[in-house]
Formats: sequence, structure tokens, C-alpha cells
Amino acid sequence: MRLEKCWFCSSTIYPGHGIQFVRNDAKIFRFCRSKCHKNFKMKRNPRKVKWTKAYRRLHGKDMTQDSTFEFERKRNRPQRYDRINTEKVLQAIPKISKVKATREKDHITRRLTVGKVNRRKEDRRELEQSISLVKAPSVLKEDATLTLPKQKVTVSYAQTENTPMEE
Amino acid sequence: MAARFLSKSPSGRSLLGALGTSLLGVGSVARETTSKHAYSDILFQQQRTFVQMGTNLKVVDNSGAKRVMCIQALKSKKGAKLGEVIIGSVKEAQPRGKVKKGDVVYGVVVRAAMQRGRCDGSHVRFDDNAVVLVNKQGEPIGTRVFGPVPHELRKKKHVKILALAEHIA
Repeated sequence: MRLEKCWFCSSTIYPGHGIQFVRNDAKIFRFCRSKCHKNFKMKRNPRKVKWTKAYRRLHGKDMTQDSTFEFERKRNRPQRYDRINTEKVLQAIPKISKVKATREKDHITRRLTVGKVNRRKEDRRELEQSISLVKAPSVLKEDATLTLPKQKVTVSYAQTENTPMEE
Repeated sequence: MAARFLSKSPSGRSLLGALGTSLLGVGSVARETTSKHAYSDILFQQQRTFVQMGTNLKVVDNSGAKRVMCIQALKSKKGAKLGEVIIGSVKEAQPRGKVKKGDVVYGVVVRAAMQRGRCDGSHVRFDDNAVVLVNKQGEPIGTRVFGPVPHELRKKKHVKILALAEHIA
């Protein structure tokens, strides 16, 4: 029994699922479900179809380089059955997949924090600029609690004196 | 990838059984339609059926024949699947070969466009319909087999074909 990867979406194909298509040049395409199979028949390029792993990896949405991928690499050399080895591997598999999952999740959160920070900056700027849409400026002047505290930026005057004037 | 879609017979292959005589030599018919999108939807969801009377099959050995038309699928009333034996009539042959045009031959289906279930639950499907010509005992007439062959042949006891094959799917 072997867990294959779907050619189109790169998900694992469990036994009893999917279709295997053998092309006349002896290349085998495995599909996890008819959705992938039909997309293949439509001659769609998985690198352009947004929900596939190929697209996500190509566009940096998902993690590409990691040491945990080395464990899953296909090795074509058959290994002699070694009981101790097999037991060790079976114990290690859930640990590795857990590590891999946390790393992938971190990659995505890291990718999304940039947008989060930017959005917060934007919101702050909008609040400062467009507060007049919500409250009249006269009210703001009276009540100091309604405005955002102004950020103080210190400028070192000693520095500015030393810089030469550019003519 | 080759343009596989342009050389497919129209869907509704189940009608071929009834219209066997009137569809001689129908290999590749490219249909032209006005509305491209509607046709492509139907085309991509082609219903693949059995190899039955009237089915044109490609010959993938060097026995001399090029195309064979199935005249009888042994073993099943519905038609032949991957790995089964058929009786065919040679429709097209190379000038100097072991078989001539018009010969009635036995053949083993080595590639079928209709998917076949395997014992592990998966399904296999090939790109086209192909046969290897055999004699009554099941031994191949030719000496070479081209293209991939399924390992269903082992169960069907066509071991010699597997031995000649260049790739076993």
C-alpha cells in the first residue's frame, strides 16, 4: 500500500480513492477525486489554479523549503524489513507531521501579519484625518479624550546642526 | 500533451452496438459545432464504455496489422474490458506483415479508455483502445509490444505479452 499524491492538487490519495490515468508515453497521472481529474481533462495548468498546492507553493503562499519535506521524499530503493527501524519510523511519523503543521501555520501567520500591521496604520491615519465626519471639530477641541493621543517624535537638534548645507 | 480531444468519436458509444454494420471504419470524427462551450462540456465528460462490436482498436504490436475492428467480445455480453480477449477483423494492415487486411484474429485488450477497477480499490484508465493480436492459445503473434500495458494481464495469464512490454502500468 502506498499513499500517492494527486497530480493536480497534491493532496494524498488514500487506497480506494481516485483514478489513475496512464498516458501512452507511460506517464501515470493520479487524481484524488473527479474534480482534479476533470480539471486535468480540461487541460488546466495546476500552477494557475488557485486552490492547488502547486499554485500556493509557486506564489509563496505556503512553505516551500523545509527540512521536514526531506522525510516524505520518494525513495525508489526498496528497504529490507527491519523491525526496529519500522517501529522507530512509525513513532516518528506523527511527531514529524505535527512539527510540519506548526511550521506551515507559522509561515502563513508570518505572511499575514504584514497586512495586519498595515491595516492598523491605515485605520489610525483614517481616524486622525476623517474624525470630522463623526464629530464636529469644535466638540473635539473641548473634549480631549475623543482624539487620539498625538505621537511625539524627538528630533536631536545636535545632529541637524552638524549636517552641512547642500547648495 | 498531444491534442487528445480532437480525435474522439462522438459520445453515445452505447449506440454502436446496435449500429455495428453502419459504422465501419469510424476512427476519429471531429465534430464541428457553433457553440464551443456547450460542446466542450459534453466532450470533457465523455462516457466511456466497453469494447464491443464495431469498436476500432489500435494494434500495438509488430504483427503487421494497424487497426482492428472488434466483431465479438468473448466472455461478456456487454463488451470487453481491459485485459480481455476479443475477436476482431483487421481493417488496416501494413503491406508485409503476418496478418493481412480482412483477417479474423483474436486480440487481447491492453489499453482501454474505460476505467477498470483494481483489487486495491483504485481505477485505471488509459488514453486509447489498443490490442495485441494473439492466436487461439493466447500467444502473441508479434514479437514486440509498444506502449504501456496494465498488470491486469498477469491475472489473465497473458504473461508473454507482459514479457514483451516496454512498460507495465
